[in-house]
Amino acid sequence: MQRRFEKIVIIHPPMNLKLVYQTPRLRSPNRTLVFMTSILRRHLHKFAGSIIGIPRAPPDRILGLTEQYKTDPNPQKTNLTVGIYKDNFGEVKTFPSVAKAQAILDEHIELNIDLSYLPINGCPAFQENVLKFLYRESCPAGGELLDKELVSFVQTLSGTGALAVTSKFLSSFISRSVWIPNPSWANHSNVFWNNGFKEINCYTYYRDGELDVDGWLLDLERKSGAGRTDAPQCIVLHACCHNPTGVDPTPEQWVRIMDKVHELQLIPIIDMAYQGLDTGDLFQDAHLLRLCLDSNRYRWNNGLFLCQSFAKNMGLYGERVGSLSVVTPHSVDVKRNIDSQLKKIVRGMYSSPPGYGSRIANLVLSSSHLKELWVEDVKNMAGRLQSVKSRLAAQLEWASLRDPSRQHGMFLYTGLNRSCVDILREKYSIYLLQDGRLSLSGLNDSNIDYVCEALRNVSHHLNEKEA
Amino acid sequence: MSKDLLNNVELLPPDALFNIKSRLAKDSRPVKVDLGIGAYRDDTGKPWVLPSVRKAEKLIQQSTDYNHEYLSIGGLGALTQGASRVLLGDQSTALKENRVVSVQSLSGTGALHMAATFLAKVGHDKLIYLSDPTWANHKAIFEMVGFKTATYPYWDPATKSLDLQGYVSAIKSAPQGSIFVLHACAHNPTGLDPDHDQWTSILDAIVEKDHIVIFDSAYQGFASGDLDRDAFAVRLGLEKLSDASPVIICQSFAKNVGMYGERAGCFHVVFPRQDQSVDTEKVKAAVTSQLAKITRSELSNPPAYGAKIVATVLNTPELTNQWHSDMVTMSSRIIKMRHELRDHLVKLNTPGNWDHIVGQTGMFSYTGLSAEMVQRLEKEHAVYMVSSGRASIAGLNSSNVEYVAKAINEVVNHFGSSKL
Repeated sequence: MQRRFEKIVIIHPPMNLKLVYQTPRLRSPNRTLVFMTSILRRHLHKFAGSIIGIPRAPPDRILGLTEQYKTDPNPQKTNLTVGIYKDNFGEVKTFPSVAKAQAILDEHIELNIDLSYLPINGCPAFQENVLKFLYRESCPAGGELLDKELVSFVQTLSGTGALAVTSKFLSSFISRSVWIPNPSWANHSNVFWNNGFKEINCYTYYRDGELDVDGWLLDLERKSGAGRTDAPQCIVLHACCHNPTGVDPTPEQWVRIMDKVHELQLIPIIDMAYQGLDTGDLFQDAHLLRLCLDSNRYRWNNGLFLCQSFAKNMGLYGERVGSLSVVTPHSVDVKRNIDSQLKKIVRGMYSSPPGYGSRIANLVLSSSHLKELWVEDVKNMAGRLQSVKSRLAAQLEWASLRDPSRQHGMFLYTGLNRSCVDILREKYSIYLLQDGRLSLSGLNDSNIDYVCEALRNVSHHLNEKEA
Repeated sequence: MSKDLLNNVELLPPDALFNIKSRLAKDSRPVKVDLGIGAYRDDTGKPWVLPSVRKAEKLIQQSTDYNHEYLSIGGLGALTQGASRVLLGDQSTALKENRVVSVQSLSGTGALHMAATFLAKVGHDKLIYLSDPTWANHKAIFEMVGFKTATYPYWDPATKSLDLQGYVSAIKSAPQGSIFVLHACAHNPTGLDPDHDQWTSILDAIVEKDHIVIFDSAYQGFASGDLDRDAFAVRLGLEKLSDASPVIICQSFAKNVGMYGERAGCFHVVFPRQDQSVDTEKVKAAVTSQLAKITRSELSNPPAYGAKIVATVLNTPELTNQWHSDMVTMSSRIIKMRHELRDHLVKLNTPGNWDHIVGQTGMFSYTGLSAEMVQRLEKEHAVYMVSSGRASIAGLNSSNVEYVAKAINEVVNHFGSSKL
């Protein structure tokens, strides 16, 4: 029997809007959309038309805590929020490979003499070397794609910039609906909302301290399965070191997941922000890219979008260096069309990307000596993160730490609830994200005992409360 | 089903300016002249890194706390504060009255894009008025976020001067509360600026119609060599609009600091004075939070290197002085080239009047050459400029100015001055 009424829920985070409507059943998805748009427009209108009426956007969750940390007078204060790598002395040190590249840049004035605009899609040498690094070295099967000119490229403002260009492009031409994991990096939904997406779906990722692949695939199937006739949907996949949980699928699980993603014709958007920080091996960490580009298994008819960043693995955070590459299975012509549209987007947003960071990254990637050093730097960084994890495991009796292969990358998802996180901050001046994410790189010899003791205390507190 | 969806993405024509660059690179003729893109060149035709910038780079690299950590979402405070001081002036009442919000942007384009994205939230149905002609990218920036654009008359080709009457009547006939994009100085592409009296008429008309102003300030100090002089229009605008409407200013440090590719710039909102029922601090906080959200969703946080250099130049008195003289070096060389080009054309008896080249200011001259003349300049003489006839005077130097004058002379004679 057909239901005569249905419930429509409209959630619009930018406006802090959640609207629930009981409506007579609308005959087609298209009509539903028209209906929803008209409601949304009415509500948005309330805010429009005056600078006085602008609502205050909530502060960014991560960077807001850093502001608070800065003014905390406690000498033992510890910032475990931001994903910046710090060494065992709590310092942000430029990698030796990057420092060498900087020195070369400073000494050889001719390399730095022309501060002219980069081309819209970025420095050509950077493009060549990044593509080589990604599609030949990290993923040998990609070489053929480069030879056939099937990969579009733009230098971007790191990973966020790549995601922003991706979402502007997709929402203009292909899709305004995306799947992101629950939980995910806090900024993912913000990026998609603000760059033209109209629907954000969350797939189950993590449940009761574990990765939940069954739940994940079930979610996809339920809402993207057979019978769906409207525009295709996109899906954001964290290539490795899932942020914030640090829990990644195994290679076998990835095959299962990607088979389903492929079957449902979802458009993969690979967010590769931590290449190298998982295993310490830059190339090995591109596992998901290699799987996706296995042409015997998959063909991505609406393209594959790779959003890649050198923020973490080169420590170039604030210089904003990264890239978007789009793999099309079709022809050089399609690739060129995409190139031209990506350029148009960039031209309208900021004309051309910043030069300095890409000059450094390019030097590192183009010199075999510096590149070897870099590979070593990344290995050392990942090694330190591993050792911090083992020290935590030794001091805390946490199930999540027992298996060293469980947590990947820079973060530990403690599972502590909001009130524990508040106690840590208020009583101990230890800053974690509200969702319990702890940045391992903030721990070192001088503070690890203090932090472990506090973590033990709050988790006891939690147990007592729950008991 | 959706297999061929991507196949229908339309191939766009290459960006006119960046395309010149690639044609030029492929041109194998021994003498070629780039009068296309707006970047300063010294008298040997080379990019010039300002001595003040070199010194700032040294200071930054030698500093013990130099690192690559993230800036905050709003950017580097030392940059945004220094930048608003330079732009609004030490005596700015808006700064004294605490009516300014400033955030770092990706140079001028990034600031304009932020203006467009932000204004779309408060007045997406407003019409954006751009000068005719204007910088090629203005229209795209606003249309990309869904605005409709219109133009106001600016350049009168017959007299090669400002069409003030047309300008003012466009302001008066525009729907009340429209948004006007004004070039703060060194109008791109014409190089023609209103004089002080003309600015007064323009801004008075804007106040009368309750319009909103976006100043695009890309050439402060580069045009005349004097920061205050080049900020005349912005400061007059702030004074006239201080009780009327918010003013947005998009500030680029690409040209006046000579760091085109580092994308250093700022976006400023100057709030009007309002009666006491309005809590301006609260409004400022709300606007700041919205700007942060835009930045966060497009780039997370702005690039550090260029910002640190400009901040160092603006906040180190010795470097600030050096920078002032660097701007004089650039602007006086350009002014000299304007005179030499005009003088050569006069000497060659080139048909037409060329005094406008000297009267214009900033990087560009709207030569008045037709599209077919420009085409012939490129084909026969390897002199490159955009088809509108806009020439970047910075591309001229003592060894090519005569060559360029002769080339212009040849094409003008070829087509006849009636085509001018």
